Amino acid sequence: MNNDIPLNWFLYFAAASFAIGLVGVMLRRNAIAVLMAIEIILNAANVNLVAFWRYGTPAPGSGPLPGVILAILVITVAAAEVAVGIGLILLCYRRWRVADVDRYDTMSG
Amino acid sequence: MPPTAPPLDLRDFWRIAPAAILAFWGLVVVLTDVGLARRLGLETRRRVVGWLALAGVGLSLVSTVVMFWLDSLAAVDPERLQELLGASLGDYFARSGDVIFLGALASGVSVDVLNILYLVLLALVIQLSTSYRFTEDWGECLALLIWATVGMMFLSAAEELVTLFLSLEMMTICLYILTAFEKSRPRSMEAGLKYFIYGSVSSALFLYGLSLVYGLAGTTRFAAIERILTGAGTVDPGLVGNLAGTTALLLMLVGFGFKIAAVPFHQWAPDVYEGAPAPVAAWIVTGSKIASIVALMKVFLHAARPWSFPSSDMMGPGWLGIIAVVSAVSMTYGNLAALVQTNFKRLLAYSSIAHAGYILVGLAAAIVSVNGSAAAGALLYYLVIYAFSNLGAFAVAAWLARDRNADEIDDLNGMGSERPLLALCLAFLMLSLIGVPPFGGFFGKLYVFMEALNQGPSQTRIILVWLVALGLLNSAVSAFYYVRVLKAMYFRPRSGAGLKRAESAVATPILLSTLVVVGFGLFPQPLVDLMKSVAGPMLISSSIEAAVSAPPAVSTASSDVSR
Repeated sequence: MNNDIPLNWFLYFAAASFAIGLVGVMLRRNAIAVLMAIEIILNAANVNLVAFWRYGTPAPGSGPLPGVILAILVITVAAAEVAVGIGLILLCYRRWRVADVDRYDTMSG
Repeated sequence: MPPTAPPLDLRDFWRIAPAAILAFWGLVVVLTDVGLARRLGLETRRRVVGWLALAGVGLSLVSTVVMFWLDSLAAVDPERLQELLGASLGDYFARSGDVIFLGALASGVSVDVLNILYLVLLALVIQLSTSYRFTEDWGECLALLIWATVGMMFLSAAEELVTLFLSLEMMTICLYILTAFEKSRPRSMEAGLKYFIYGSVSSALFLYGLSLVYGLAGTTRFAAIERILTGAGTVDPGLVGNLAGTTALLLMLVGFGFKIAAVPFHQWAPDVYEGAPAPVAAWIVTGSKIASIVALMKVFLHAARPWSFPSSDMMGPGWLGIIAVVSAVSMTYGNLAALVQTNFKRLLAYSSIAHAGYILVGLAAAIVSVNGSAAAGALLYYLVIYAFSNLGAFAVAAWLARDRNADEIDDLNGMGSERPLLALCLAFLMLSLIGVPPFGGFFGKLYVFMEALNQGPSQTRIILVWLVALGLLNSAVSAFYYVRVLKAMYFRPRSGAGLKRAESAVATPILLSTLVVVGFGLFPQPLVDLMKSVAGPMLISSSIEAAVSAPPAVSTASSDVSR
């Protein structure tokens, strides 16, 4: 495995992806854009998981392939979360006529 | 090497019977509602679907009690199990307390007791949610409540990060949808979206931390992580020298902090508790908090225990210092912000943020105390009392919402003279939340704070003494806003429409919660002992030791697992 991409590059990529997603969640106003940024963060975690599975040293008895399996399960959960999120955004959109998170402010204090 | 898995012991499926029955029954409820009940009128449908859901909860409760009986029989008299169940099953149940499903879930008496707790709370919440009409989709609402409970049951049994994440998501996603269920009020939809956005971001951060933990440890099982961290700890002291490890643990703390509404991850709590319909808010505040704290205890007291590194410095290089700071800030902020609230549910939200602070003191106590499992048991006792107190309070909020369509504190005016028994119950619950003897809340705080100060004589950590002092001060401050509720009930004349008679759907949760809080305040010892025995197995490495330490060769692993 001499000419493979080193593990560090995957981790840096995931960390950069995480940072971009986090900035997106905090700065974007459109609810759907926030959802996309959340997906970017989840993807960063997935890249981390698969990279560690591929390159890292497993502890004895850690069971078969937890990294990749967890990544697949995370993709499933992310899909379910997006479905729920779009439903909730639609619900709010019908009431407020905008998908702008700053405008949802009936409660205060 | 081709991937091989040790063979799964199919008898493990018997152990998840309570959760499986509940999951299946959720389907039954929603399909019955869609298929059969739509022909009935709205009120009849509400009652029929409600009773159907309660029947399912009862069935699951019966199976959990049977599990509990089998597990306690296994400790006392294993041969009887062989007679009752036959050779293979009897032998399997005699090994109670193992991890099941190749190390994914725990089993045994502690899991059964927690399941019974969730089912009792769920029954009360389902009964409460049939008390007033906040939605027309009864089947979906009750099915989601049931499925959220399935998530909670698996969350508190999880012995592994994968199961932890999946069950956390299962519980939370059901609760996101439930929060937005009251479609006639915009605050409910807004609360649902806010809960969703905050929650998804926290889950994503939690998952990133989880991936780093997996990378650093090479495994997802708590027992194995603990062993690996112990091995590395002597060379590399915990969090200070280790950027990736620190980041990982802090990110996981973000995820957990969101679930228990600790500052600074608390911002969703006031809006969600105010906006969600009262029975759903009751479930978020009681069930999901207990399950999250049990999971938090498992991760921090079991898996990350070697990194707690309590030292006699002010904060030390472990996560103890961070937990202490979060706890102190939560207590203070929650109490100060609650002083100015006028909405009853928002007041309960800020009070629950403050209680998250006290609960984190319990977590710190479980690490530093001389008797760790007693401290963890005290924390669980506190949680049970806290859950029932809040359930009763939210039942009153549901009553207000039903009759006055609003839940300001002023709506409680004059309740003392109108409905004396239930007003007295609410008064007892408020006094328990302050921590006044002889109610359960007093003993909860007493045991937690005592265990926090119960450190070894040569290792007294001054930060915990400060924390306990701050906790006592905050309890005194909190009296000011709980007493405002009592003042409204007893010392103000009624304003606005009167409260109609509380039918059993509202009265039963209030009365039962008060009974639990007062009863376990007068006789705390049985519950404390029970919780100590529940907490003990959670904190030690279970018998996964044998299966984990062997190299993953099929023959050795299979003989270890099937033993």
